[in-house]
Amino acid sequence: MINRKKKIAAKIARFILLAIFLIAAILPLFWIFVTSIKDGTEIYTFPLKYWPDKPSLNSYRELFSFSDFGTYFRNSLVISLSAAFGAMVISILSGFALSRFTNKRAKGAIELGMYFTQTIPTFIIMVPIFTIFSSLGWINSRIALGFVYVATVVAFCTIMGKSFFDRIPASLEEAAKIDGCNLFQALVKVILPVTLPGMAAIFCFAFINIWNELFIAVTVLSSSSKMTVPVALNSFISKTGISWGVMSAGIIVALLPTMIVFGIGQKYIVAGLTDGGVKG
Amino acid sequence: MRNKWYLLMMVPAFLFILAFLYIPLVRGVVMAFQNYNMFDLTNLHFIGLDNFKAIITDPYTDFWQIMWNTLIWLVFSLIFQFLLGFTLALLLKKPFMGRGIYSGLVFYAWALSGFAIGLIWSWLFNGQFGLFNDFLVRLGLIDTPIGFLSTPGLAMVSVIITNIWYGVPFFGIMLLAALQSVPNELYEASVLDGCGAVKQLFYVTIPYIKPTIISTILLRTMWIVNYPDIIYAMTNGGPVNSTNILATQMINEVFKQYDYGQGSAFGVIIMLILFIYSVIYLKLTRSSEADI
Amino acid sequence: MKKATALLVALLAAALLFAGGSGESAASDSGKIQLTFFETMTSPGRTQVLQDLIAEYESLNPNIEIELISPPYEQADNRLSMMLNSNQELDVIEVRDYTQKQFVNNGKLLDLTPYLENWEESDDFLPVAHEIARNVDDTPYILTSCLYVKALLVRTDILEQYGIEIPTTMDEMYEASKELSQKAPNQFGYALRGKSNTFKISDVLMFGNVGNIDTENCYQTTDGKYWLDNENGKKAMEQYVDLFKNGCPPDSINWGFNEQINGFISGTTPFLVQDPDVIGSLEGQLDPDCYTVVPLPVGTSGYRYLDYGYNGFAISTTSKHPDEAWDFIAWLNGAEKNAEFCKAYGPLPVFQSIYDNDDYFSSDKYQAWADELVAEDTIFVKFPIDSEKYPAWAQIQEQGMQAMLMGNVSVEDTINTFKEYWGY
Repeated sequence: MINRKKKIAAKIARFILLAIFLIAAILPLFWIFVTSIKDGTEIYTFPLKYWPDKPSLNSYRELFSFSDFGTYFRNSLVISLSAAFGAMVISILSGFALSRFTNKRAKGAIELGMYFTQTIPTFIIMVPIFTIFSSLGWINSRIALGFVYVATVVAFCTIMGKSFFDRIPASLEEAAKIDGCNLFQALVKVILPVTLPGMAAIFCFAFINIWNELFIAVTVLSSSSKMTVPVALNSFISKTGISWGVMSAGIIVALLPTMIVFGIGQKYIVAGLTDGGVKG
Repeated sequence: MRNKWYLLMMVPAFLFILAFLYIPLVRGVVMAFQNYNMFDLTNLHFIGLDNFKAIITDPYTDFWQIMWNTLIWLVFSLIFQFLLGFTLALLLKKPFMGRGIYSGLVFYAWALSGFAIGLIWSWLFNGQFGLFNDFLVRLGLIDTPIGFLSTPGLAMVSVIITNIWYGVPFFGIMLLAALQSVPNELYEASVLDGCGAVKQLFYVTIPYIKPTIISTILLRTMWIVNYPDIIYAMTNGGPVNSTNILATQMINEVFKQYDYGQGSAFGVIIMLILFIYSVIYLKLTRSSEADI
Repeated sequence: MKKATALLVALLAAALLFAGGSGESAASDSGKIQLTFFETMTSPGRTQVLQDLIAEYESLNPNIEIELISPPYEQADNRLSMMLNSNQELDVIEVRDYTQKQFVNNGKLLDLTPYLENWEESDDFLPVAHEIARNVDDTPYILTSCLYVKALLVRTDILEQYGIEIPTTMDEMYEASKELSQKAPNQFGYALRGKSNTFKISDVLMFGNVGNIDTENCYQTTDGKYWLDNENGKKAMEQYVDLFKNGCPPDSINWGFNEQINGFISGTTPFLVQDPDVIGSLEGQLDPDCYTVVPLPVGTSGYRYLDYGYNGFAISTTSKHPDEAWDFIAWLNGAEKNAEFCKAYGPLPVFQSIYDNDDYFSSDKYQAWADELVAEDTIFVKFPIDSEKYPAWAQIQEQGMQAMLMGNVSVEDTINTFKEYWGY
C-alpha cells in the first residue's frame, strides 16, 4: 500500500518536473513568435499583451521583401548541407581510424589535439583567415567558407565518431576480412550500416553548428548575394537599432531548418549516441 | 601495418584542422606579440609581451575583475547546466506517451545560435517591455519594471540564467544517450543487492556513464569560456564591466578598438587557461581511465 | 536504419541540387568596368536605397557595373579595415568619423584634390562639408555625404498632459525631466544613452554648461586645459548624475539606441537627444503628431555646442579605376542624388542648394536642424578623431560614466581618470 502511494507520488513529481522543463524550454520561443506577429505599435506597450489584438504577418512580409531573405536562406542551406555532409564523411573516416588505432600514446596525443581545437577563440583566427584567403584569392568564395566550416566541426565530430566505433567490436571487421574484404570495404559494407544513427548524429551536430555561424561568414563573404541567414539576422541591427518585429520573424524563420533537421535527427542522435556517446 | 592505414584515413581531418585552424592560429598568436593595431599599421613590429602587460595592467578595464567574472560565469553556468541536464535525462529515460515530441520540444534550444538566444533573452529581460517584468508587475511583486540587464549583480544572474537555458539540452541529450546504454542487468543486480533509487544512481548509473560525464563537462567548459555570443548580445560586458568576460573583452578590443594585437593576446590567455585546465582536469579525472 | 540512409541521401541530393543552381557567378565578361562599393553604415532600408541609386547609375552608364558590399553594421568597419589592409581591390568605400584617420594613416585613401579642383558642384558644397573632407592632414580624402547633428525630440502629447513647457535651456530640460519622473510610477523624463558611444550624447549635453570649449578639440577649453577640469565641468557632471538619478529610468544605464527609441515611443521618456536619421526609425511606430523636434537646449554658457557626425565616400588606393570611381561618387553625391538619399534615409544633406530650393529639410520635423545649424548661439566643435586615443575612448568613457552614474566612483575621480586618459 505504502509502496503504491510512493509510486504515485513519484509519478506526480516526475510529471510536474517534466512540465516545468517544458514550459521553461518553450516560453522564450513562444514569446518571440508572439512578438513577430504583433504590429509595430503593439510591441512597445506595457503592460504587455500576451496575444496581439490583430495578429499580422507584416514583420514576415518585411523580412522577405527588403532583405532578400530568400537568397540568404538558400545560401545557408547549400553551405550548411554540403559542409555538414563533408564533415560527416571525413569524421567517419577519422573517427573509425582513431578508434581502431593501436598506438596508445599517439592516439592520446591525437585526441588531445582534437580537444584542443575547441579552445581556439574564433576571433584569434579571424584576421589570419582573412589575410590567408585574401592572398589565395579565396575571399568571397562560398566553397572556401565551407572548408573553414568543415574544419571547425570536424574535431568534435571525430570525437563523436570515435566513440561509436569504440562500441562496435573490431571482430566485425575481422569477420569481413575473412570474407575477403579489405579495410575500406569492411568499413563501407559492414561497419557503416551499424553506425548510421551515429552518422545522423554527427550530421545534425555539424549542420546546426554551421547553420548558426556568423563571424566567419562575415569575414569570408563579401557579396550580399552570397550571405547566410545569421549574417542577414545580424544586419537587422543597425546604427538605428533593432527592429524587434522583423528580428523576431527572422529568428523564427532561421530556426525552421535546424528544427527540421533536429526534429528528424533527434531520434537518431539519441539512438546514435546510445551506441557510442561521447566518451573517452 | 594497420596503423598506417588508419593514419591515412585520418589525413583529411588532419588537413582541414591544420589548414583552417592551426595555421591561422599560429599567425594569430604571432599577432599577440606585435603592435597589430588597425589605427596605424605602417610600423608593424614585434613588441614582446607588451600587449599582455597592457591587458593585465589596464587602468580602465580591470583585468582581474574580468577573470573573476569569467570564473563566476563558468562555474554557475556549468553546474546548473549539468545538474538540470542530468535531471532531464533521468526523467526522460523511462519511455512515456509522447516522449519523442516532448524531447524534441524540450531540446530545441540546442539548435539555436548563441547570438539568437542572446537576443531572445535580452528581449525577455528587457527593462521596459520584457515579459519577466510584466509577470512581476502583474503578480504585484514590483511596481515598476526592474532593470535586469542594467543592475550589475542582476545582469550577471540574467546572462547566466540564459546560458543555463542554452546548455541544458546539450547535457540532456548526451547524458540521456549514455543512460540508455547502461545495461539493464546492472540495475537488476543492484535491486537484488537491495539498492534504492538513490543508491542505484550513485553506485550504478554514474560510474557507468562517468566517461561521458567527464568529456561532456570538459567540452562544455571550453565552450562556455570561449563563446561570447550570449553576453555580447545581451549586455556586451556592462554595466560597469559587471558581465565582461575574457571572450567579450576580446571582441571589444577587436571590434571597437581595432587593436588586434591585444585582442589576440586575450585569445592566447583564454587558450592557455583552457589548456592548463584541461591537463589538470584530465589528470584528476582520468587517473583510473585508460585512454586519452 | 533504412530511414536514416534515405534521409542522408535526400539531404545530400538537396545540397547538390541547390549548389548546382547557384554556382559561383562568373566574373563579368561583357567588357564592362566593374566597380566595388563598400557600404559600412548598413541597415536593410539604407542598402535598398543605395541599390536603387546604383541601378539608376548603371542604366545611365551602360559600361559600368557596380557591386555593393554591405556587411552588417556591427562588423562592417572591421571588415573594411581587413580588406583595405590586405590590399583587396576596392573602388568606392564609405568612410566615417571613426575610420577616417585610420584609413589615412595606413595610406588607404586616394587624395581627391585633383578631382575636386574640377568639380562643378564644389561651390554649392557646404563649407562645413569641405572642412570635414579635409579633417585629416588638411587633405580632402573623402567626399562628405551626410551630416548627423543632435537635436532634442519631445513628446508634446505627454508634456501637455502634465502641463510642462518645451525646454529651451539644459537646466529647464533637466528640471522638466525630474518633474516628469514624479508624476507616475513608470514615467521618467530623459532617454539617457547608457551604452555604445555614449560620449557622443552625454558630452554634447554637458559642453554648453561648461562653456569656452575649443572648437578644434572639444576635449579642451580654449585655454588648453581638460574641459571638465574646472568648476563648471564638475558641476556639469554632477548635474548629469542628478539627471540620471532623478529624471531617467534606472534601466537607461544599459540603453543603446534601440532602448532610447523604445522609451521615446512608449512615452516613458519624452525627451530624446538624437540625430536626424531617428525620424525614419520612428516612422510607423509613433504618430508624427505626438512629437516635435526642437534645437538642442543651450547650456548655462548661453551656447549649444554641437559636433558633426558624418560619413562620406572615398576612393581606395587599390582601385584600378579611380576616374570611374570618382565619376560615380560625384554623381551619387551630387546635389540631386544627395537630396534623394538623405530624404530616404534621414540625415542632413551637404549642399546649400538643397536647403535653398527644397523646403523638405527646413520644414516640419527638420525645422529644428535647419534652425540650429545657423543659430547664433550654436558653436560647432570637433572630437579629437586624430588622436590614437580615440578608438578606445568609447569603451573607457562608457565604463567610467556607468561607474559614476551608479555611484561607485565619485565625479572628481571620474574627471581625473578621463583627464589622465587624454594626457592633460
